[in-house]
Order: sequence, then structure tokens, then C-alpha cells
Amino acid sequence: MYAEYDLAIPETLNAALGILADGNDPKTLALAGGTNLIVDIRARRARPERVVGLGDIDELRGLDGDGERISIGARTTVSDLLASPEIAGVAPSLIDAAKVFGGQMVRNAATVGGNIACGSPAADLVPPLLSLDAEVTLASKSGTRTVALDDYYLGYKQDVRRPDELITKISWSRLPENSVNSFYKLARRVGDAITVTGVAVTLAVANGTCAKARIALGAVAPVVLRAKKAEALLEGQVLTPALIDAAAAQAVAECSPIDDVRASAEYRRHTVEALTRRLVSQAWQELS
Amino acid sequence: MTKVDHATQPAPANVEFSQVGKRLTRTDAPGKAAGKTPFAGDYVMPGMLHVKVVRADIASARLRRLDVSKARALQGVVCVITAADLPDRMVATDIPGQTGQKRLDTDQQILVRERVRYFGEPLALIAAETRDIAEQAMELVEFELEPTPGVYDPEEALKPGAPIVQGTDNVVAQHKIKKGDVEAGFAEADVIVENTFKTPFQEHAFLEPEVGLAWIDENDVVNIRVSTQVIEHFRAVADAIDVPHNKVRIRGAMIGGGFGGKEDMTVELYLALLAKQTQRPVRLEYTREDSFVGHGKRHPFKLTYRTGVTNEGKITAVDVQIIADSGAYVFLSPYVLLYAAVAAPGPYRVDNLNVYARAVATNNMFTSAFRGFGGLQACAAYEQQMDEVAKAIGMDRIEFRRRNFLKSGEPISTGFIPPSAIWTDQCVEKAWAALGEPTPARGPIKIGQGIAAYQQSYGRLTFLHDTSEAWVGVEMDGTVVVRSGVTDIGAGQTSALGQIAVEVLGVTLENVVIYNSDSAVTPLAGTTTATRALYMTGNATKMAAEAVRERLVERAAKEFGVDPDEVDMAFNAVFVIDNPDKSMTFIELVRICALEGIHRSELAMFRAPFSGYLDPETGQGQAHPDYTYGAHAIEVSVDTDTGEVKVLKSIAAHDVGQCINPAAVEGQIEGGAQNGQGYALSEEMLYEEGRLVTPSFSEYLMPTSMDVPKVECIILESRSGIGPFGAKGIGEPAMTPVAPAIANAVADAIGVRVHEMPITPERIVKAMRDAAFQLDRGAHREE
Amino acid sequence: MSREKMITLRINGRNEETSVPPHRTLLEALRELGHVEVKSGCEKGDCGTCAVLVDGIALDSCLTLAWMAEGREITTVSGLGEGDAPHPLQQAFSDGGGIQCGYCTPGMIIAAKSMIDRNPDPSEDDIRIGLSGNLCRCTGYTKIFEAVTEAASVMRARGAS
Repeated sequence: MYAEYDLAIPETLNAALGILADGNDPKTLALAGGTNLIVDIRARRARPERVVGLGDIDELRGLDGDGERISIGARTTVSDLLASPEIAGVAPSLIDAAKVFGGQMVRNAATVGGNIACGSPAADLVPPLLSLDAEVTLASKSGTRTVALDDYYLGYKQDVRRPDELITKISWSRLPENSVNSFYKLARRVGDAITVTGVAVTLAVANGTCAKARIALGAVAPVVLRAKKAEALLEGQVLTPALIDAAAAQAVAECSPIDDVRASAEYRRHTVEALTRRLVSQAWQELS
Repeated sequence: MTKVDHATQPAPANVEFSQVGKRLTRTDAPGKAAGKTPFAGDYVMPGMLHVKVVRADIASARLRRLDVSKARALQGVVCVITAADLPDRMVATDIPGQTGQKRLDTDQQILVRERVRYFGEPLALIAAETRDIAEQAMELVEFELEPTPGVYDPEEALKPGAPIVQGTDNVVAQHKIKKGDVEAGFAEADVIVENTFKTPFQEHAFLEPEVGLAWIDENDVVNIRVSTQVIEHFRAVADAIDVPHNKVRIRGAMIGGGFGGKEDMTVELYLALLAKQTQRPVRLEYTREDSFVGHGKRHPFKLTYRTGVTNEGKITAVDVQIIADSGAYVFLSPYVLLYAAVAAPGPYRVDNLNVYARAVATNNMFTSAFRGFGGLQACAAYEQQMDEVAKAIGMDRIEFRRRNFLKSGEPISTGFIPPSAIWTDQCVEKAWAALGEPTPARGPIKIGQGIAAYQQSYGRLTFLHDTSEAWVGVEMDGTVVVRSGVTDIGAGQTSALGQIAVEVLGVTLENVVIYNSDSAVTPLAGTTTATRALYMTGNATKMAAEAVRERLVERAAKEFGVDPDEVDMAFNAVFVIDNPDKSMTFIELVRICALEGIHRSELAMFRAPFSGYLDPETGQGQAHPDYTYGAHAIEVSVDTDTGEVKVLKSIAAHDVGQCINPAAVEGQIEGGAQNGQGYALSEEMLYEEGRLVTPSFSEYLMPTSMDVPKVECIILESRSGIGPFGAKGIGEPAMTPVAPAIANAVADAIGVRVHEMPITPERIVKAMRDAAFQLDRGAHREE
Repeated sequence: MSREKMITLRINGRNEETSVPPHRTLLEALRELGHVEVKSGCEKGDCGTCAVLVDGIALDSCLTLAWMAEGREITTVSGLGEGDAPHPLQQAFSDGGGIQCGYCTPGMIIAAKSMIDRNPDPSEDDIRIGLSGNLCRCTGYTKIFEAVTEAASVMRARGAS
């Protein structure tokens, strides 16, 4: 498929950042797994003049699971997540998402960094990462900074990453004892489908009450978001069915889905409520 | 052979076949596994040009301006063709190939002259040195389309004042069946049940997009290598480019899926035009997006069934009103509609029947052939209706069917009596029994079971006077060659011919090579459509092989000093039946025959039964040669919170007459189950004012490996079919009952029916909510 | 300005050179080099027919740029098996009725191999997940599951792939 762009394939992170420091002239996009970018270029939704291929940069992979914080390189693929017993232990919702993420070949190529960077509200790794209070490390020629994933998105396909920055790492703290973390992807078929409604939930229990609640919603708003008011209803409480119902209803109020080829806004609201109720109830039952 | 009364006598046991009925590795399988088998897109020629199609991007419009000058001027562009270059050329789109006679005048423009009738209608063809240049040239074509009022619903298209897309009133076909006295039948009924069902567009989604390569050879013959179900299109191509029929040669290849989507011409004519114009080889491969808008889809149907029934469960009358969306052009709509009308009552005894079916043109994508061809849409409705009627009289769904099944020797809707066994009852019984006890329900997850029975024709409409030819020959070293035009779309069409030939000649499958699908060189077998290939070409192959066998056996008998009927051939040997020590190898016999000039080959033609048209008012007569009967049983779980459906169990029972290759039969059944499941649950083509908004496989969702259960196949063999060795056809029948079985299972699970397919999670949630609302209202009223 | 570059692709153990621009996908490059056993189905990663092994891992070649594949071991379905002996996957697909039209087969076998190499004893569920990116319209997947299970068992017995 025809397109016109230069392709640079740097071997180190520094070299990549050096190319990106050009101030986006020529217009430059970074290529990781290609499962979104190549499709976008073919569809003419993206028209870069230059592409920086990150495929040779080993520094951007790797998993560091010692201690309190877990950190994965941005080029960690979805298959890498599935193959990692550490991730299964510390981020079950990420595994839930990875299992139904695309097909095998897409999982073998698609990266965690790319899934965050693409900015799609249907990006399946983002709700789990939000439910884990993940942080994103961005690097550029002028330094690095870390941003909470919760603060990363500004609007539909708008985020805080500057054109000269690359996502290098994603990190989060281990969940406390007595916590459950899960994700459910609702789509129009089970295998390899774009999400209709995605819900990730973290519940932590201490002293018989809910110490921490996270409810992250995907594909039901211009960005992936946390239903913070719903979370607030739960935190510090004993979770009765009535309270869970209220939180589920509140989660609906905090999302703003659209009608599209996959589903109507009304159905999405209905399923946000049903799935939030279900995941929170299941988590609470498991913890009680 | 004495006529078997299929209703009363059991079929003979399968003891005498050595190759037929065995799970032999198909002849085409190893090459495909190795990646060696070429498909049409794998052929290249030096100097080959690459073609792209420029398409209209709205559905109903006047073409005000089309300027290809900038595209023509681009370095590397060799040729751009528009309608202006094809002054009075039209192309025939009526029934492909076969007799070469058009029945209907449905010729259409090759490229848009002035009026655009559907989204994606081709405006221009570009041939360039490279694909990149062709793609760049596409962007340089300038066109202005002035939108004109369009119509996107067949019922709207019937209203006075609707935009006219075809003919004078948009009605492109209608069929009637009138049998008995429906008024009297309804008067006799204790209960009358009426329901309307809607079925959607469906995309064939063959994995290999349309593709071909054309060139002019040294004899000025236009050669077209193409992925097609019909090599006989060479006639329509020749007529459209104004050359004699013997100057167009279509060479097929193994086809990467057809399902009816490669039954009409796709790229053939564009390639022929460009090859002629440029005098260079030209290659056109559709992108997937081209494919979505480039070939006809399954007809959406709206079917209203009115069924009269007694409290004892006897059907007294059925009235069926059908409206099919023919889309922008006629193509095969009249025939799809006819199949639907004939199939309308299902495999049931309906003495008082009224069917009125119309196909209506709209500015939607044109619709044409797809596995099941109208008979499938009818089944989607009649089997749901059967469940609803059973419910209305409080009768078990199986028992209700049982009381109304057609039996062997009874007439179908057109008054025709199928020549073969009707084993619907046995199929339903076995499939239902195999479902077993329902999986236990759990919380919001409800379980439902459903079944659907069907009648689906095999063989083409008999008024087409269908024929098929095959040639079988034996080389001097005893190896066997089969030559036939039959196209192989993946169901093992060619391997089956091999299996038949070696069965008759008493050799084994690795000794045969099959040459197929070359319109100049292989005897024409007709289309691979209408579940006809095994029936027609299998029979032709059997006839040819038997003629050769007869001559070989006669010579062997002379050698052994016995009568010919005392000689048999099996497992590469020839022997006296009662004295097997008197034998020789097949090769030894062939050598003797070769030496003596005994004719070791035969070209045979098989003729299907010929009939006239059905009566235009009553629909009575013969429509098809014969019918296949069977059933599919389904268990689903429905998540009543989200509406998600999982198919847990999928069990098919079909009477295929006689398996040629059981693995191939199972393969058809398992594949048909996937196609039917997608149709029922997840495949949706969405259009906005005729514009397709689901243009790729990430919006149009066919079942993946994670979506389907393993299918259990129960194969019955009545040996009563009119195909080779008593075979019937299974290609389309395999798909026909699946969607209504799923619909019935879902309705069983949630207690309410979704009348429109696909039965999406959203539709389920809405149906349950509406039903609950109705219940609430009802409850309040009683207070 | 021509952006073409001469690259060397190592395909089925042999080095093959080709001059291609940056936007050329590995799928296009492979087929241009004559590797027509690699099929094209959608060119956007939805169907899996174009799957090849890159350093032993199945990737959609339509989503891989040719330049990015330089220096890696690329294996197509033709590169499996030893000489005339088919690979257990090819044998099992062929003998078990797992092939109908055959168009999805090369990609399906590649995906299956990649999965089995990492999970030598896959359950039926593992196989479903491993092949969910390979669409098949003909077989309904049942005989494909059986072929993969059979091949995995043969591969385990041999102890090698």
C-alpha cells in the first residue's frame, strides 16, 4: 500500500530521541508493533513524513518485578505479558485483557507503550493499568518525567506526550494483600474484536471494609476513565448489594458513550452498570 | 436397479466400496499444506500491469464530471478506462454460463456512464506499471457526484413516488405458490399464529479476495486466470468485449473460498478490457475493502408467516409474504426469490399454501448468490415460526414438527415428489437426542436449546436444462487422469471426482490426477454453485469411468475366459469374482488394452432432469432435481445482563445419501455451522444511506476459533440421492438450518424472541427489557 | 526522490536481496520475491492469512515493514518440514481434513507452530486463543483444532520442531 515517508531505525533509545528532537519537522511518528500505525497509514488517517522504527531498541523491553514497584518496558508485547508469571501475579486484570487482545500475531507485535500512545478509548490495556494506578515514564532528549496514567489523557486522542517524547516505561505499585484486580471485555465476538465496553476493577479490603476501589471504564467515553465518584461511594464502606448498585449507577453517570457501528450509547450505559456491578460484587465476594 | 421404497426399507449397508466412503486424504490437501498450490493471485507474467478500480463514494447520484486526465498523465500509468471508452457496451448478468442463453434482460453498464446506483459502483479502471503507481493514480482521478434521492428499504421502494432504481416500479421479480385453499385452511384452524422475521445482508468473507491475471496469447485469445466459481463466464466476457466465444479462455485455479460470492463475474471483464486495450498482461487484486463493495451480498429478507394449526398440532394453512432486497441491480435475484418461495413452508406437509414473494430494487449494495440462495432465508423464518406455533398450542417443539414432517414420496410445495428419501424425522430425532440434558443455568446465565430442520435443493433449477461433462482416461502405465471444467472452491470438488473414478476403475486414490477448470481444455462441467458439483460432475465422472471400465472388463473377461459380469476390479487388481486366483494387475490389463487399441478413455455428459417453468400463478411443477433434508441442534447460554450468547453445543444430522469422503462431508457441516452462527449472531453489514460503514473484518465479525464450539456431525446415508452412488448434496444444506436453530435456542433461553438477525447482545437486552415492560404493564392493568 | 534501499531478507534459511521503499510491507516484499505461499487477505491485521515466523514468533507480515525485518530469521510455511518430508503440522492438517480451500492454511500453520513452540502441550482452549487471529471461513475450525492437537503430540514425541 502506497505511502511516502522516510524510515529511520535507530538502535538505541538515545538515537531515537535524537531523531525526535527535531521538533516534529519532518512530521514524525514512532512505530512500535505497527498494529495501529501501519493500519492508520494504509487508511490515510496518519500521513507521517518520517517514521521512527523502535524495533531494534532492546532498552525499551524488560520487566522489573523486584520490590514494591513493578516496571515494564514500553516495548513489552501483549504476548510478553501473557508469558510472564510475575505479571499474572501482580496484575491479573492485565492478563484478563491480554488473553482476549487481538489475535496471536497482533499480541506478538502490539506493545504496552503503543496501546497507551494510540489514545483509543477502546485500548484494552489501559483500563487495567488505570485500575492499578499505573504511571507512565516519558523520555526526550531533554530528560525524563513520570506522569500518572490517570493524568495522561486530555481528551479524545489528545495526551500529554510531546512529539519529541517516547513512552519508555510503565510502572505501578504492588497491590496490597487482600485485593482483587480484574477486567472484563465485552465485544461483539469473543476473539479478536474491538471492545464495546471494558471494565477494570480493583478492590482492596482492610478491616472488613473496602480500603481501595478503582473502576476504570474503556470504550464508553472519549478517553479511558476512572469512575471516581463511583469509587468514592465504595471506599471505606462495607459493600452491600445496594451500595454496589449505587456505585454501578454512578459509574454510568460518569461515562459518556456514543452510538457507533458496534453498539448504541444506551446499550453501553446498560452494560457499564451490569459489568461494574458484576465485577465489584465478584471481587467483594472473593475478599469476604 | 429396483426402486427402493425409502419410506419402508432400510438402506443397504456400505460393504462394497473400496475408495468411496473412506476418509482419504484429499488430492489437493498436501499441496495446500506445503504452500505449493498456486491460487489465482500467485501467477505473474513479465511486463504485467497492475490494476486499480476507482469507485463511487455515494450510493445514489448523477455523475456530473469524471476527469482522468491527471491520472493518465502520471508517469507509469499505461491506461485508464471509463465508460466514455466503452460506448455501447453492456454486460450480461443473468444466470452465468451454462446454455449461454439469457433468460432475462438484466444487462448493465460496465462502468458508470451517468447514474450511480450503489456505493462502490465502478467509475474507472487504472492500469499502471506498479501497484504503487496505480494507487497514486487513483488519487488523481477527479469526479463530481451529484446526490440524487435514493431509497434504502425495499418497502419504501414499493411506495408510490419512491425513487426508481430498476424497471418501472422497482419490482425485479415476483413468484407465487398457490396450493389447496388457504381460506378454508385458516377457517379450519383452532389457532392462527403470525410472525414477521427479518434477515440481514451477509458478506461471503472468503479469505482470498477477488483476483485475476489476463493476457492475450499468440492466437489472439484473451486468457484470464481468475478465482471464480464459473469458468463459463468466458461467453459473457466475449460478448461484452465483442469477440467470438472461442477467443476467450478462462483458467481457474484452486479458489480460496467462494460461497456464491464468486458466482457472478467479478474482475474478469475489467481484466479482459484492459488486456485488450494495453496488449499487455494485466493483474487485478481486490483489496478487502474492494471485496466488501465489489460483489453481491446475501439478500436481506422480510418474511411474514401466518400459520393455521389445530389444537392437535396439524398445520391447516400457511401464508407467506416475502420481500427481498435486490439492491441496485438484478443479478440473480429472481432465482434467489424462487428458491425462497419453493422452500417457504419447510420440510412439512402443507396442503393449503399461499406464497407471495417479491424482490425489490433499492440503492443498497446489489445482492446475489450466497450459500443457501433464498432457501436459507426461508428456513431462518419457517423454523422460528414452527417453534412459535408449537408454543402457541402448548405442544412440544419436536412433537409438533413430527406431526407435520413430509415423508418420503410426498409432494413438496410445488407438487413435485422428491425422488429420494425424506429422513427429516430421523435427523431431528438424532440431533435432539445428542444435545442431551441442558447445561445447568447459573445466576444471570440462562441456557436454551433449539433445533431447526430444513429442505434444501441440490442441483440447479431444472428449467435451466443443466448438463455437466467429465473425461476419464487411463494412461498406459495404469495411472488415471480425470479432466473436467469443475471449479474447486475448497469443498473437495476435484478430489471427489478422483475418488469416484478410482472406485469405478478399481484403483486407489494416489493413482489419479485431476485437471480442472480450463474453459478451453477441460470439458465444461458447469458452475460450482447450487450444490451441484458432486451431483452433476460426480455423475458425469462416474459415467465416463464406467464406460472405460466396461471396455477394460470386457477384455479382461476374454483373457480369463469368463463372462464380463464375472469379473471385478478393486485395489489395483482385476480378478474373477468366484475364482480370485484368476487375476492380473490393473497395469497388466491396461498394457494389453493399449497394445490392442482399446479405447481407454471416455468423455461423458450427465444431464439433470429437464423441466419447464413453474406455473406462474400456482407455482406448481418441478423446480429442482432433488432435495436434501436434515437438522441442526444447538445449545446456547445467554448472559441476561449483557445479552452475550455463547454457543455451547452444536450438533448436525444430515442425510447425505452417500458420503464420497466423510471427512469432506464433516468439513462442510462444520464450516456451514460457522457461517450460520455468524449470520445468526455476529455478522452485521451496516449501511448509512447506502454507504457501507462496516467495510473490513474488524467491523464485520465472523466467528473466530474462540467463538465456535466443536461441531458434532451425525451423518445418515439413505443411499437414495440421485448423485453418484446415491449421494445427495451437502454444501448449502450444511449451513441452512444453523441460524434458526440458534434463534430457537436463544428464545428458549430467555423466553422471548428476537425476530431480526443478527441476534446481537443489544437486541437481546432490548427484547428482554421490552418483554419485562409488557409484563409490568400487564400486571398493573390487573390491579 | 527514490527512497528505495537494498535490503537482505533471510527467508527459510536463505538470504534474498530486494530493493524496496520504506513503506513496503514484509508481505509485499515476500510475494514480490516469489514467496507466494504467503497469502494476502486483508492487509490490516484482521485475518492472519499473511502470518510468517520472524525469529520464531508469528507476526502478520502485512503489519511488518520489510526494512524492519532485515537481520531476522523469517520462516514461511514452505520453510517448515525437512526436504520432502512435511512438518507434522502440514501432515496433520492434510490428513485430518483440516484443509478445505487452503487459503488460510499457511497462516494458520505458522500461527499454530509459533504457539506450540511456546506451549508444547496446548489444551483446546489454548489452541482457540492461539488461533483467534486466523480467520477461516471454510472449516468451522473443528478439524483445525484436531490437527493442531495431533501435530503437537507428534512434535512432543519427536522432541524437536
